[in-house]
Amino acid sequence: MMGRGEVHRMSATTTPEPAAAPPAPPAPPMRPAPPVRPSRMPGWLGNPWGRPRWLRLTTFLYIAWSLLPVLAAVVFSFNDGRSRSVWQGFSTRWWWGDPNLSVFHDPIYTNALVHSLELAALDMLIATPLGFLLAIGLSRWRGRGSGSANFLMLVPLTTPELAMAVSLLLVFTQLSVLPFTAIALGTTAQVIGQVTFSVSYVVVIVRSRLAAIGPEYEEAARDLGASARQSLQHVLLPLLLPAAFASTLIVFALSIDDFVVTQYMSAGGETVTIPMLLYANARGAATTPALNAVATIMVLVTLVGVGGAYLVLRWFGHRSGEAQGDSAGQMGMDLTGME
Amino acid sequence: MEMTAQATTVPAIGGHGGEVRLQSLEKRFEDVVAVDSIDLHVGSGEFFSLLGPSGCGKTTTLRLIAGFERPTSGDVLLDGESLAAVPPDRRNVNTVFQSYALFPHLNVLDNVAFGMRYQKVGRKDRERRAREALELVELGDYAKRRPHQLSGGQQQRVALARALVLRPAVLLLDEPLGALDAKIRRQLRIELKALQEEVGTTFIFVTHDQEEALSMSDRIAVMHEGRVDQVGTPREIYEGPATLFVADFLGVANVMEVEVVGSGAAGCRVRVGDYELLAGCGDLGLTGSASVVVRPERLHVMARDQGGENCLPGMIDRTIFVGSNLQVMVRLATGALLQASVANDGVDLDSHEQGRPVSVHLPPDALRVLAPAGVTPAT
Amino acid sequence: MRSEGTIWRSLSIPGVVWLVLFVVVPAYAVVAVAMGQIDALLQPVPQWNPLNWNVGFVKEAFTSVVPGGTYWPATRNTITYVAVTVLLCFAIGYPVAYYVARKAGRSKGLLLLLIFLPFWVSYLMRMLAWIGLLAPDGYVNVVLGWFGIGHTEWLSGNPYSVIAALTYGYIPYFILPVYAGLDRIDQRLLEASRDLGASPIRTFLRVTLPMSWPSILAGSVLIVLPMFGDYYTNDLISGSPHTNMLGNSVNLLVQGGSQKNLGAALVLVLMTILAVGMLYYLWETRRQQEKLAA
Repeated sequence: MMGRGEVHRMSATTTPEPAAAPPAPPAPPMRPAPPVRPSRMPGWLGNPWGRPRWLRLTTFLYIAWSLLPVLAAVVFSFNDGRSRSVWQGFSTRWWWGDPNLSVFHDPIYTNALVHSLELAALDMLIATPLGFLLAIGLSRWRGRGSGSANFLMLVPLTTPELAMAVSLLLVFTQLSVLPFTAIALGTTAQVIGQVTFSVSYVVVIVRSRLAAIGPEYEEAARDLGASARQSLQHVLLPLLLPAAFASTLIVFALSIDDFVVTQYMSAGGETVTIPMLLYANARGAATTPALNAVATIMVLVTLVGVGGAYLVLRWFGHRSGEAQGDSAGQMGMDLTGME
Repeated sequence: MEMTAQATTVPAIGGHGGEVRLQSLEKRFEDVVAVDSIDLHVGSGEFFSLLGPSGCGKTTTLRLIAGFERPTSGDVLLDGESLAAVPPDRRNVNTVFQSYALFPHLNVLDNVAFGMRYQKVGRKDRERRAREALELVELGDYAKRRPHQLSGGQQQRVALARALVLRPAVLLLDEPLGALDAKIRRQLRIELKALQEEVGTTFIFVTHDQEEALSMSDRIAVMHEGRVDQVGTPREIYEGPATLFVADFLGVANVMEVEVVGSGAAGCRVRVGDYELLAGCGDLGLTGSASVVVRPERLHVMARDQGGENCLPGMIDRTIFVGSNLQVMVRLATGALLQASVANDGVDLDSHEQGRPVSVHLPPDALRVLAPAGVTPAT
Repeated sequence: MRSEGTIWRSLSIPGVVWLVLFVVVPAYAVVAVAMGQIDALLQPVPQWNPLNWNVGFVKEAFTSVVPGGTYWPATRNTITYVAVTVLLCFAIGYPVAYYVARKAGRSKGLLLLLIFLPFWVSYLMRMLAWIGLLAPDGYVNVVLGWFGIGHTEWLSGNPYSVIAALTYGYIPYFILPVYAGLDRIDQRLLEASRDLGASPIRTFLRVTLPMSWPSILAGSVLIVLPMFGDYYTNDLISGSPHTNMLGNSVNLLVQGGSQKNLGAALVLVLMTILAVGMLYYLWETRRQQEKLAA
């Protein structure tokens, strides 16, 4: 029998016969390396199995730093006094107790709340289908114009919101051509502004899902006799449903939280949103913890939406056998609308 | 001309359509030529393999037949009708995808029934035929499962059922066994061949696995850099490779650079180093430098003193025991290394010990003369 | 199959029309106003015809942002604040992203959730939180008082507060791409590096850090772009012209009313600066990709 050792020994020898190749020069003797190389690292740093304590501490401190102030602001909405910085005991007066100044009684807050939700609903209704179709179209449309369309889609994502807000303000106030003359500052302009930047997020989310799906399912559908439209309808749309749903909720959250464009497109009292209220009153000496309460409502609404999106995505993922374990992080990424 | 010459060699099985002709078919992506003007004829009911390494254009050829790609020039004919302008959904051709592409949002039964929806098959018939197709691939109990709940081999069979239930004239299979592990692959190879014989549909099978192609196909086309190097039955291709590439790609082949010094009735004489050999097959009209290929199992390794006609002296460089046989590497006196395969029929291992002087007998009918590397034979 | 191309294009049409109407036309409006005139009532008169463009405002805008110009302090503040914020985001955010991506083990899911949370708390709410804490009688001063540090005015023109607030506000946008980049690094590469004799620190410096460089760049771009248009952080945390950034200047000129031309011109200046930055970013990412491909 030929053992492994023998094969190894043989490979070291070369042809002694009248071979064309000259015999290889003998290899220099190898000094065996020490079995364990000395570490130049202090013990606590060099141990590869040790827990990275400093990193963990940094991470926990970061998380505390990023969340505790927000929690404090939420807690202050339950302050018994008017102060938003000194704790004076627990009460619900700024939520509903005070008949005039509490969130649910003061029309300034209720109007802003209603208007924020109204804008978010309109933004969702318009931006999601618009972006959804654009994503599908752009992913397949090759030829003249598709390059510029792709570039155009990225512009709202790579421009400071202020530049977009200024440009929209100027076009609505300075350009006397239809359709711009028909659009006055106010709700319509706010919706247009929000849709304009939301569309790009929808496109990005749907497109990344399209890329993950790949062309094969569609080809399979075509191969089995479905026309281009039928394969879109019977295969691609069902597969894109989770992405459509997720992007709807992203649009909702983007709209609720948007400040710059919404402020630039606003026209006074009726069109004030919660972020605009926060901006206008956060520093005000007369402002009560009701502002904290309204901000808290906004955060809760956003979190409920995003949490719902996460659960739905997970359900869809579970059903189709994707999303096992690690992809929770990927889904989180999808939900932030970032690539 | 060439077409008719080829047509005569096409076996006539089945006879219910499914005859595919590729005419000067060419596909370019930007400036890369994926498929370089190929002509092929696949007979009705044939199990035909496109064999080649990755990037040889075999998958592109399949996608051109399926209709996912449009040819840059040339045409695909199915039973005499041009498919060039026909979209994939209106071709009577179905595909089993490499990754199966089972729709994750549909259960197994709905996946199999998917295509019949577009053939205007009634709901009841759809379900009945889908169930029959699942029975055919022995997955009747899995109808309500989701694709991801099945094993790779089961998914593969669902993909087969989904395509076959539409009764296509031609079934295209794109490395359908590639994603499976070796044991299941071997088993499915047999099942697939039996299934093909049962349904009688033309199968065009893409693979890079020579063993797969050799064991299942009626005929094989070996593809290389976008061209078809050789078409023939498994035996023709293995034993009579037309090019060095084919010889090398199918199994192990020893290649020797030689000089053709003369030819006679029995074959041509070639010079290897200081020795002369008689080569009995291949391109015997060649002159000047050429290559000679010989399969390891056709070589005879003998003791040095037993040498005679068509023998070369050498020395055993290394012997590797692989169970059913021994791989003996012989360093020839010319400096070249030959691999010989010696059946393990109780052979004396010591006689194949390293360093032992031997004589290698190369039978003339095992020596095949081919144009040297880099020179494509004139067709 | 020509008709199929039409399907895809027609799906894109509504979105493309929308973007042309509300991105391209408005962008041109900014140029027209910047290149236009001003009337007797101090209202801008846009000039839509490029042949009659007046470059006066654009010239004024460009000379105002260099040293000695009216907006030089704002430009200087912007550059300083943005640079310091990016460095702080890296110093804090990179270790956090690294820990969560590579060392968190079983608690990864929970940590990810906690890191994603700030994303879904409105930026203004997060500023509001700090206004309460940094108030003269707020908890920051209370805690500092325990250590004998006297009363500090955090909310009136304090550049440190502004930088801290910018860091607090934008760091989640930095951490996320960096986390994604670190998460993608193949564990086997790090093991190979260790196997070949590199210490953990050398492995980090020679494998992990270079491989996460593209995502660090991406994270930086992601936070630099909005910071160049930020006026609200400064308005909320400082409220003083002393710490104005370019965004404040644009906001005052445009929303303040009387100098929209100059405001539009300043937007063009801003976009020029960012375009140069973006070109560098694109060049750098392409270089990185080529390095990997080679």
